[in-house]
Amino acid sequence: MELRKTTVYQAVEAVLEGEVTAHQVIGKTIKNCSVLNEGLNIFTSIAGIDALEQAEAIDRKIQNGEKPPLAGIPVAVKDDLCYGVLPTSLGSAAFNEFMSPVTATVVERLMDAGAVVIGKTNLDDMGQGSTTLSSPTGPTVNPWQAERAAGSAGAAAVATGICMLAVESDSGGALRQGASHCGVVGLRPTTGRISRYGLNAHCSSFARVGVTAFSSENISGILDLVSGFDERDAATAVCRGGISEIIKNPGSEDMTIGYPVTAFDHLEPDLREIFEQVRDQLGSRGYRTKEIDLGLLREGLQAYYVLALAEASSNHARFDGIRFGKGRETDSLEEMYRQSRSEILGKEARRRSIFGTFLLSKGNYDRYYRQALKIWKLVRQHFEAAFNECDLLMLPVAKNLPRPLKEESSYLDQWSDDLFCAPVSLSGMPSLCVPAGQIDQFPIGMQLVGPPFSEKTLLAVGSTSGPRDMGEGPLSQ
Amino acid sequence: MDHIADGLEKAIKAIKIGVSSTEQEQLHRELDQFLDWLEPMLEVDPGDLEGLLFSHDAVNVLREDSPRKSGLAELQEAAPNFAGGFYLVPKIME
Repeated sequence: MELRKTTVYQAVEAVLEGEVTAHQVIGKTIKNCSVLNEGLNIFTSIAGIDALEQAEAIDRKIQNGEKPPLAGIPVAVKDDLCYGVLPTSLGSAAFNEFMSPVTATVVERLMDAGAVVIGKTNLDDMGQGSTTLSSPTGPTVNPWQAERAAGSAGAAAVATGICMLAVESDSGGALRQGASHCGVVGLRPTTGRISRYGLNAHCSSFARVGVTAFSSENISGILDLVSGFDERDAATAVCRGGISEIIKNPGSEDMTIGYPVTAFDHLEPDLREIFEQVRDQLGSRGYRTKEIDLGLLREGLQAYYVLALAEASSNHARFDGIRFGKGRETDSLEEMYRQSRSEILGKEARRRSIFGTFLLSKGNYDRYYRQALKIWKLVRQHFEAAFNECDLLMLPVAKNLPRPLKEESSYLDQWSDDLFCAPVSLSGMPSLCVPAGQIDQFPIGMQLVGPPFSEKTLLAVGSTSGPRDMGEGPLSQ
Repeated sequence: MDHIADGLEKAIKAIKIGVSSTEQEQLHRELDQFLDWLEPMLEVDPGDLEGLLFSHDAVNVLREDSPRKSGLAELQEAAPNFAGGFYLVPKIME
């Protein structure tokens, strides 16, 4: 069974019908992980005997007449999500042996449904970034072009066919940028849809847990299994009485897709041309497309960074060598803090913590932080106004091709890559990244953004938009 | 010392991270750049708009604020020792 060419539904059917056992699927997957990880640096840890034992337990359940809805489906989990069986490094060398006492709700729900975690995926320094370039174990290589970054390791795992699903965090756009750069599909859900319990969020206001897969159909197949109220994440209270889904029939002529022209002005002509082609294709498939205004993208990006850095400076306070991290033996408590924190936080996390503290300090709070809170509200109002004119929005994901591994780029250049993703994070709206086309061998993704809880509409439209054929995949190059 | 250098030094001290003088100089340059980068955001006039504080609209569900009998008298009666408005407990410190 070749995972990249199989849907979750087909794979589960094959396991339930006895064509292949869960043990065989997971055994082969783990072997592939080890081989591909040497060149691509996707995983921080790979499951072994535990995953095989889980697969055997699923096979026994099937023999006893049970039908787990995700029987034997291999899943990769980003390493800022806790999973009690494998180390949770959080993107810090100081935690590479840390075994979390808890498992994230999203992981628990997937496992309850029969999925098997096959490894933890690489991430930036304390999960802060959209490239993996600041990872303490080095960047994840893009499977389409070995000289560039993947964006996210979960997307690389899915693109190579190592696993069928990846669960990943997305604050300013890591999941979406990874999906775009690796030619796969990534969903950042509405605030509160998927529990964040067990996620080490550097900015609590914008961190979400999303799903990456090879197709929209595969995400549709698991969305209900991972969604819903969780008493351990207050944001999911909006789902306590059930989820009020906004479902529209894709392709119906009364569906309007908004095209914010000024957003596409930020792109180079060859990139812009791809999105114009997609817009025209959507029109030929029965959708109405409409040019709309969507302002404050640049200011939204800047406000995101003010708020994200301020929250990071607070969230990182617990990494002090006492509550989290190995405390160093020193002559004074202050020195113990300094040494322990310097060991835990890498260059990017230090920069963000220091800048965030600066922004919150006397004299800067009103000028920067309070202004950013207002921009946050304005951006949300802009998106709400847009959805008075259209049902969904299409936006680019990335301004550029993936970052070259050997080319130095400034931190501000990297932060600026989130131009189209960070404002969507501020809006709180769900976003689906789907492949839109290719430039040379590089996949280019686009975001479909909808009003709260319109994920099923996004997935339905996502399954009918963009190129249907990405060739034989990255490893055929 | 300029405003940014002063603020940077205080921030480094507040978050208790060891930073070399070379790194601090680099951070100063980067912070300068970052604050310049933020200028367009500062130019937006949001009027008297109140900023957002939470990423979701969920609110606490509170019971109606109506006076009820406190039951304080029963608690006082049930306490082993109550005097002068205080619940008396065994002395544990010399």
